[in-house]
Amino acid sequence: MEDAWIKFGQTVICGILLGGMYSLIAIGMTLIMGVMKIVNLAHGALVMVGMYVVYICATNYGIDPYIGMFIAMPVLFFLGCLIQKYMINRLVEVDSILPENQVLLTVGIMLVLTEGIRLFFKSDYRSVVTSYSSDTLYIGAMSISVPLVIGFIIAMAFTFLLHMFLTKSDLGKSIRATAQDRDAAIFMGVNSSKITMITFGLGAALAAAGGSLLLPLFYLFPDVGHLFTAKSFIITILGGLGSTWGAAIGGLVIGLSESLGATYISMGYKDVVGLVMFILVLLFLPGGIRSLVKR
Amino acid sequence: MKNYRKILTVLLLLSFLTLVTAGCGGGGVSSDAVKVGVILPLTGSEAMFGEMEKNSFDMAYEELKAEGKTTIGDKEIVLMYEDDQGRQDVARSATEKLVNQDKVAMLSGGYSSACTNVIAGSAQTLNTPFLIVTGSSDDITKQGWDFVFRGTAAPASMYTGAFWDMMEKVVKPQSVAIIFENTDFGTSSSKGFREECQKRGINIVFDQAYEHGAIDFKPMLANLRSTNPDMIFATSYVMDASMIVKQMKELNFDTKLFVGNGAGYTMPEFYQNAGAASDFVASTSLWVPNVSWQGASEYYEKYKQKYGKEPDYHGAQAYATMYVIADALNRAEDLSNTGIQSALKDTDIQTIMGPIKFVDWAGFTNQNEPNTYVVQWTDGKLEVIWPEEVKSADYVYPVPKWSER
Repeated sequence: MEDAWIKFGQTVICGILLGGMYSLIAIGMTLIMGVMKIVNLAHGALVMVGMYVVYICATNYGIDPYIGMFIAMPVLFFLGCLIQKYMINRLVEVDSILPENQVLLTVGIMLVLTEGIRLFFKSDYRSVVTSYSSDTLYIGAMSISVPLVIGFIIAMAFTFLLHMFLTKSDLGKSIRATAQDRDAAIFMGVNSSKITMITFGLGAALAAAGGSLLLPLFYLFPDVGHLFTAKSFIITILGGLGSTWGAAIGGLVIGLSESLGATYISMGYKDVVGLVMFILVLLFLPGGIRSLVKR
Repeated sequence: MKNYRKILTVLLLLSFLTLVTAGCGGGGVSSDAVKVGVILPLTGSEAMFGEMEKNSFDMAYEELKAEGKTTIGDKEIVLMYEDDQGRQDVARSATEKLVNQDKVAMLSGGYSSACTNVIAGSAQTLNTPFLIVTGSSDDITKQGWDFVFRGTAAPASMYTGAFWDMMEKVVKPQSVAIIFENTDFGTSSSKGFREECQKRGINIVFDQAYEHGAIDFKPMLANLRSTNPDMIFATSYVMDASMIVKQMKELNFDTKLFVGNGAGYTMPEFYQNAGAASDFVASTSLWVPNVSWQGASEYYEKYKQKYGKEPDYHGAQAYATMYVIADALNRAEDLSNTGIQSALKDTDIQTIMGPIKFVDWAGFTNQNEPNTYVVQWTDGKLEVIWPEEVKSADYVYPVPKWSER
């Protein structure tokens, strides 16, 4: 009986902790989706690039991944701004190109980023080993990995900061205004092209942060991005397109349900749990978690 | 409504992404050459192995050239690489192109079992000798195809030969747990192991597949721990392998012996990522650098120096295969398909993978009797622990508990 509780506790805690980091990555995607109304399929590739930045910092300069994260974030912010300004914006401004087709561009960007990284780093698997990588907290008989806890705390802190930024600052309010109604925002004097650029940069920086937090736990190869794109997409749908809080909660829900599925069904069907939820949400709750709150 | 359409587009795009294309190789070669077609996955997800095998082929070729063994009469042996992208349809067209267009004297290569099977079938119909490098599923050499030869690769169900010997003499487990990735490779090798356990009356207390690329293996490991097995048998790809042993360490999960089925558990990346958690993990293997066959460690050192990366048994297979090819072509009475076929059949050569002979046994045709090993990690070094004649270190069994290390 006791064993069963330990197993349950471990499953729930690890699921929520991992979900927190999924949330952070998905929030980046949902932010971009909210403001620009396009699904950014290069999002996972941006996570991947962020992870490589941290990797280079850690292996070449001995910088701790959690500090390297603060280097990766500005780098990716800048990269995101460039991508938005010189690539995506050019298409968004052309009315005759449907948003569905603008998505194609993000696929192209993803391929270029992935293959570009492959050119420099080959297809090899890499990982950052830190002194605390395999440190473990023991709560009773439950074992919880320290990087998972640190990652969760930082991810939640970022989510909170982002929320404050979006609700309290002028820039944040402009971003929300643009997301709600771009034309109205422009009439109110919001510089929408600047806002979209900053939003894309912000989304990329959050992606990099999420990737950096996972790096001490996970590993890295050029195609790792697909995993994150798929996961953030599911979370974004679950949370309701463009909703920051929806994505935060959606991430936790996915993390938790995957973990429960792995323990009580089978690890072989871990991803199935998330995908089944995805289909159910589309069928019965198309607006995602956001629509529940609104009701 | 618009959102649905958007989502549909995205889904379509996602499925589109799985189709990745790649270029192709080839080139002009003069007619007074003995052409050997080599089909390997040089792009796609198996490219890392294809690249290692190509490098090893090239390295062996250079060595043979220095010894003057790449010229037969006035003809020079030329290797012609084709990329199969890890896809069966491409493998087939590459085979047909090499045979019909380039008029190669013989074929080699074959990484994944699926592609190797296709190449072997085509080679047999086209009456062209084919020497397999890696593809290991049992049925390839069980079809009675007399133009197909397998020297450096063991049939998949025979990978565990030395390991079962050790099981009988040393481990003698009462209960085992099986975990494996839910791919063809994982499923088929765990199937072989499961059948063998049943035959020997060993109790299987846990048997579960997992999805490749997971971050958190603890749910499965926690379930596994509660069954308290004597031994764990795992088939994993390299990064999953290290995640599993790392998380076992975090869970303080002690077991008398953890055995990997080759693949991820013998690769240098395993130790690099798992660190101290890799200690005492055992694995089945076809080759290790410090095995006592002549030239094995020289190959390892030379490859590492030349390409800046550590090779594993896949590279050694390609290297040894090149030597077998050169040997057979040098002995062949004439360079026709049947001439090379009978020269291959008479092969009796010592390579870095051990002795290679093509014999018919247990339903196999032209299949070398494999040498398999059990290896164990100690301080980042892979030591051969079984069979005892070739061991480089003594086995550690049962392995020390995490708390006592």
